[in-house]
Amino acid sequence: MLRLEAAVPEFSPVPTVSTTAAFLANVRESAGLIRLDVSLARPVPFAAGQFAMVNLAGEHSLVFSRPFSILSATEERMSFLYRVVGRGTAALAGLRAGQELTILGPLGRPFPGPGAVGGKPVVLIAGGVGLPPLHNWLTRHGRPGDLGFFGGRDGQDIPWQLLDERWQISVDERTDIPAGREAWPGRVADFAARHAALQGAQPRVVFSCGPIPMLKAVAELAAARGWACHVSLEEHMGCGYGACKGCVVPVVDDGGAGWRNATCCVEGPVFSADEIRWDRYGKPAVPLPTIEG
Amino acid sequence: MALQLPAWWKIDPTAPFELGPRRLPGRIWTASGCFAYGLTGHDFAAPGFASPYEGLGAVVTKTVTPAPRAGNPMPRLAETACGAINSIGLENVGFDRFCDEVLPELERRGVPTVASLAATRPAEFGTMAARLHRVAGGFAHWHGVEVNLSCPNVAEGGHDFGRDPATVAECVAAARAELPDRALLAKLTPNITDITELSGAAINAGADAVSAINTVLGLEVDLTTGQPVLPRRFGGYSGPAVLPIALAKVDEIVQKTGGKVVGVGGIATATDALKFFALGAVAVQVGTAQMRDPFAAARIARELRPG
Ligand SMILES: Cc1cc2nc3c(=O)[nH]c(=O)nc-3n(C[C@H](O)[C@H](O)[C@H](O)COP(=O)(O)OP(=O)(O)OC[C@H]3O[C@@H](n4cnc5c(N)ncnc54)[C@H](O)[C@@H]3O)c2cc1C
Ligand SMILES: Cc1cc2nc3c(=O)[nH]c(=O)nc-3n(C[C@H](O)[C@H](O)[C@H](O)COP(=O)(O)O)c2cc1C
Ligand code: FES
Repeated sequence: MLRLEAAVPEFSPVPTVSTTAAFLANVRESAGLIRLDVSLARPVPFAAGQFAMVNLAGEHSLVFSRPFSILSATEERMSFLYRVVGRGTAALAGLRAGQELTILGPLGRPFPGPGAVGGKPVVLIAGGVGLPPLHNWLTRHGRPGDLGFFGGRDGQDIPWQLLDERWQISVDERTDIPAGREAWPGRVADFAARHAALQGAQPRVVFSCGPIPMLKAVAELAAARGWACHVSLEEHMGCGYGACKGCVVPVVDDGGAGWRNATCCVEGPVFSADEIRWDRYGKPAVPLPTIEG
Repeated sequence: MALQLPAWWKIDPTAPFELGPRRLPGRIWTASGCFAYGLTGHDFAAPGFASPYEGLGAVVTKTVTPAPRAGNPMPRLAETACGAINSIGLENVGFDRFCDEVLPELERRGVPTVASLAATRPAEFGTMAARLHRVAGGFAHWHGVEVNLSCPNVAEGGHDFGRDPATVAECVAAARAELPDRALLAKLTPNITDITELSGAAINAGADAVSAINTVLGLEVDLTTGQPVLPRRFGGYSGPAVLPIALAKVDEIVQKTGGKVVGVGGIATATDALKFFALGAVAVQVGTAQMRDPFAAARIARELRPG
């Protein structure tokens, strides 16, 4: 199989499905986070860390569908967790009962499954809308010893209902913390690094999803301890299935340049942290000539 | 809801038709750059469809250049109200890997293929066409070449290159000389005052048809930074917004040049495609809409089958 073209990666339990779904509800999980529930016309089995391209059906559809990690699903229903940041997410927030959506999924390479972590306990570190893939993993595969960390701005920013006792919570500002819940001050990666349960010689595997600075900090944390680390990247996406090359990220390559563009939607969104050329991330892929067009 | 086909529409777009020396399996194609090399999505499922290739006349593969290209910096896409601006920068695996890996795989999977090529010197089109003929001359599913004379995202060649009728003619002639039994198309830029000068040059130089249009030069501004969204400032505008522009260019070409035209630009539905056929296009390509829905072209092909 062509590496740049790995259509349905070998791990994928089922092929990608193009289906419709009906809007059921937008449920506010925190000040900024909304859970979107839809009823599926066809089941879309998926692995934790995979995503779907979501759009409004028919004449209201956006030019590009939007990528969202899958929070949970049954045969009939699927849920996402999102934050309104622009036109597409605003359209989702404005959906009315029964309105039709299109779903293309599952897509992308998931987090390693429970059988692929070498029996080591898993540490899951999520920031903001990076929660869905990790929440799904812990819910489906979590064993005693696996531990989740979630970071938000303040108490209002935390989806308390979604986060059970397996999740440790940190906030930049310790305001609006509900009675009976705990939240530590500071950044989530620092919090995890200092957490009592993560000291000692026990080797672990780290999964993370969230903003790039957070992922970099998590990758450093894992590297310092010699732990394997897998991160899920949110790149801008046009198609979500390898058709457009609109979503590339720089990864290590043995070739002369030392790096190459990986197609995030097909080769990712989950990458091993040491595959990523963090130093090149967000930098021009080619020197910018002063030309028009 | 099923489309009510107009009375004048008698063609089955999933039936073979002649284009120059080659018979192509159908008239609904995917556009270059919007369905990769035609290998991604091959086992996707949609209710009622065997595959995303069902009924397709051709997948026009992502433009390949003599050497691989890493493409432009991210972000490469900017969505606007009714369209999208892209600046992929012709990221591609290069002509060697295309010949050695991509084309044989497309043949193995039975995907009808038109290979899109770009180069910076006219003679290179001849060299590439000759190699294709050598490598894939016996393939059943490789049907032709589209010379991309119009991608606005590359510094050398590309734009200005494809605006000069004499250069267009040179490129087409070079490829034609090496393609005795395959269809040859020239993909034209709309970013020119009179597109018929280009289409005339291409047809006279031996192209079996012109593909019109490539993307329209566009720019989007990020108001938080006050800067263009795309690092290269400009990109190629596509999607529903460019449909009327593409229709106008196709009409001009049909009316003034008389050559065959493959219509591209803004097609998202069977209705959009019919408009190109109404103006005399022999086939159409689906680009941006194929990115949104891997079954877009297959759905259009099915809807346009009469009876
Ligand atoms: C694999 C993956 C999983 C994701 N999972 C989630 C999730 O679970 N919950 C969630 O809220 N968000 C998630 N995102 C980000 C989400 O796709 C964007 O927030 C969303 O596309 C923004 O669309 P918009 O129209 O509201 O914003 P706009 O800024 O108006 O979007 C304009 C364009 O930019 C793209 N874009 C903007 N921001 C992002 C971004 N951060 N990442 C990727 N593309 C972007 C859009 O797709 C669109 O094409 C995920 C992204 C990826 C790649
Ligand atoms: C992301 C993207 C990449 C493209 N890449 C190419 C390309 O490599 N070669 C080419 O000839 N046209 C390329 N095009 C242009 C399309 O093939 C098509 O001509 C144009 O987008 C108009 O059609 P549409 O509105 O259906 O997309 C690209 C368009 C998009 C959106
Ligand atoms: S989003 Fe199109 S290739 Fe990844």
